[in-house]
Amino acid sequence: MNKTVWMYIFSGGFVLSAALLGLFVSSVSFPLTAVLDVLAEKMFGSDIFGHEGSSNIEVIIWEIRFPRVLLALFVGASLSIAGASFQGLLRNPLADPYTIGVSSGAALGAVAVLYFQISIAFLGSYTLPVVAILGGFITMMIVFIITRLSSRDLNIETIILAGIIISAFIGAVISLIIALSDREDMRQILYWLMGNIGMRGWSHVQLIVPFFIVGVILLLSRTHDLNAFALGEESAGHLGVNVQGGKVLILVGASLLTGASVAVSGSIGFVGLVIPHFVRLITGPDHKHVLPLSMLTGGGFLVLADLISRAIIAPKELPIGVITALIGAPIFAVLLVRERMRKG
Amino acid sequence: MIETNGLAGGYQKEDILTDINLIIEEGDFFALIGPNGSGKTTLLRLMTGALEPSRGSIYVAGKPIQTYSSRKKAKMMAVLAQNSHVEFDFSVEEIVMLGRYPHQKGLIKHISPRDKEVVSEVMKQTEVYHYRDKPFKWLSGGEKQRVLLAKALAQEPRILFLDEPTNHLDVKHTVDMLQHLKEHQKNRQMTIVAILHDLNTAALFADKFAALHQGRLVKKGDLSVLKNEALLQKVYGVDIKHHSHPTLAKPQMLVAPEKMEEPNLRTLEGEVEQNEQYIHIAFPRPLRVLSNAVSGGGLQWHSHFCNFHVPKNYDCQDPAADVLRWLEDANIPAGDTLGMMTAVKLADQAFVRETIMDTPVFTVVTAGVGNAVDITENHPAEEEWQVGTINIMVFLDSHLTDGAFVNAVQSATEAKTKALADMQVADPATKTIATGTSTDSIAIAATQQGESTPYAGSGTRVGKAIGQSVYRAVTEAIENYRQRTDK
Repeated sequence: MNKTVWMYIFSGGFVLSAALLGLFVSSVSFPLTAVLDVLAEKMFGSDIFGHEGSSNIEVIIWEIRFPRVLLALFVGASLSIAGASFQGLLRNPLADPYTIGVSSGAALGAVAVLYFQISIAFLGSYTLPVVAILGGFITMMIVFIITRLSSRDLNIETIILAGIIISAFIGAVISLIIALSDREDMRQILYWLMGNIGMRGWSHVQLIVPFFIVGVILLLSRTHDLNAFALGEESAGHLGVNVQGGKVLILVGASLLTGASVAVSGSIGFVGLVIPHFVRLITGPDHKHVLPLSMLTGGGFLVLADLISRAIIAPKELPIGVITALIGAPIFAVLLVRERMRKG
Repeated sequence: MIETNGLAGGYQKEDILTDINLIIEEGDFFALIGPNGSGKTTLLRLMTGALEPSRGSIYVAGKPIQTYSSRKKAKMMAVLAQNSHVEFDFSVEEIVMLGRYPHQKGLIKHISPRDKEVVSEVMKQTEVYHYRDKPFKWLSGGEKQRVLLAKALAQEPRILFLDEPTNHLDVKHTVDMLQHLKEHQKNRQMTIVAILHDLNTAALFADKFAALHQGRLVKKGDLSVLKNEALLQKVYGVDIKHHSHPTLAKPQMLVAPEKMEEPNLRTLEGEVEQNEQYIHIAFPRPLRVLSNAVSGGGLQWHSHFCNFHVPKNYDCQDPAADVLRWLEDANIPAGDTLGMMTAVKLADQAFVRETIMDTPVFTVVTAGVGNAVDITENHPAEEEWQVGTINIMVFLDSHLTDGAFVNAVQSATEAKTKALADMQVADPATKTIATGTSTDSIAIAATQQGESTPYAGSGTRVGKAIGQSVYRAVTEAIENYRQRTDK
């Protein structure tokens, strides 16, 4: 068996064990079998280990921990596959929802919805993710327009620069909104901004799932195009890729995933940057594997990060974005240096 | 295969190309030539559909290019573009496999055994097979170029577009690549359209040419396009001369920049050094010379002219190598020297330096008539090469065309033969008057200053100057020889 197959087995196992660990570890601990019983009971209607289904366990596991673990999974998976796609499309290993401004745009959209209590009638509770997605998409477009105006092609450095400029601007706007709001709102928004998936419950899982499914299908169906983009858009065109169509689908898919993630959990950095990079180190750059593997690994990673965020200063919780940045930034620095040394 | 009618196009609102009418036949190796910014790449991008024309039409295999789906087009044509930046660690094989994209069906794009077969075949053809697992971005420019060619060939196209394909390649790989393309062209009737900067490479490999100048097609046709010096001068803005390839029936182009020499060196100020072994005449700068000397013969430029003395029993296995060795011993630069040899005593030499009919001429002759020959008589048997020779070097302050050099040789030979007749030099075998000796050497060297003269035959002033100078010098040298040998 080759490395890629092992990587699939490893990632699958990683996701499962991270999820179980996330369900199991907490301030109140239950036996693992009891945890599994609750899940089996809820999902298949019968338990396995014959634990008495106490309503206490049931509420904690099913109403609090399980949606939380699922949310972390979806958000981690979304950010990672979106990051991998942005990187492939822009041929830029430093592109991710964070660096090219999608996250901050989505955050602005979400903050606006929260602060101004916007609710679009026919969208109902989906107003938040939809506006966040639109915010992210519009911001990305602005970043591309700036890049296009300042350099002929979608130059790597220029995209990152434009992303940073726009992010800084949006950050200022968000700060302005926070400054104008009263104290209670401010703390809430600030906490949310740093990335948080605690106390969300099933409602937020429901918010992300439809976008997750659509986004993932869009991206996974374009892995071959992403490979063809390796030599640039024009070259991809010569290979018979529908360049404009493919590009739009990939950008839409990645924005859907990013916007929905930001809407439910705030902006969580570094996942979309580090996870695909790590996967590529092991499997190589073929997007056919990089995308699904990033999804699995990223999901598992965020579940673990969430676990740490609530375990490290228990009973208080850290924003998960703090954990991903604390872990992600040094890892990324090491990866960059290693890459340079490997090249010699 | 490709036909453009009234084609115009460019970037943004500005047209770079105007009114391009071109027909490229199936199986042609078609070269686009022209200076930087003449619109070659734009034309290529229009023909590959990467750019939309602003006016006119492009037909590929009889259908307008717009009617092709991108996949259909990719099966029909492949493009080897100039830039080749790849960010991630794609291996060589993965890059080449991208070429199979248009042949793979469905969403999953399964790699078929046929795909694998084609990919490994083209990798072997382009000599990249042995590093197929290396990351593409670690390769050298030349290696990358070959990998990209492999990718283009993996598309199995009927038309291959190349933008500066030999840009990063060394001489060997340039020749290998183009020879390889040539084979594809022949064996599979592949049409090749290439932008080639190097006119000499274009001349060697392409069949048809189109010259672009300021966005217009100024000339199309076969090799005669490249032989049109006035056209190339107009297109490139520099003087370009062509001459023929030494072994192939192809022209080769040479740039002739404005005169780089100092113009005041008009005199034949050759320094003469003479001893038992050699006569060495050195000029401060090279002269254009046509000669049949053992070393440095043909039509060349030389600053040094040597005539070596060899003994009668000289073993002439490899005279050219011997001359090179003697030059080295004498500390004379071999690459810049014309070398003759003779068994005659060098002391019998004749120097004639005068200005005849306004042409300064300097003639150096060594003559021995031991094996004088009448070329018009049959000889009993082929004789071995012998040293015993009339060696003539004529230096002219004049500007001769290549044809005039041949004239000059003719003039000098006529004068030599006349001198032999007047001196009553006889062929010992036939007892008739000799026309020369069996191993005569001649060199005509000119400063190439002033207006060039196309003729130097007996009807011209230069020709007469050569004839008179050579006649006097040969006569004097034979007299010297006879005096010493007591004849």
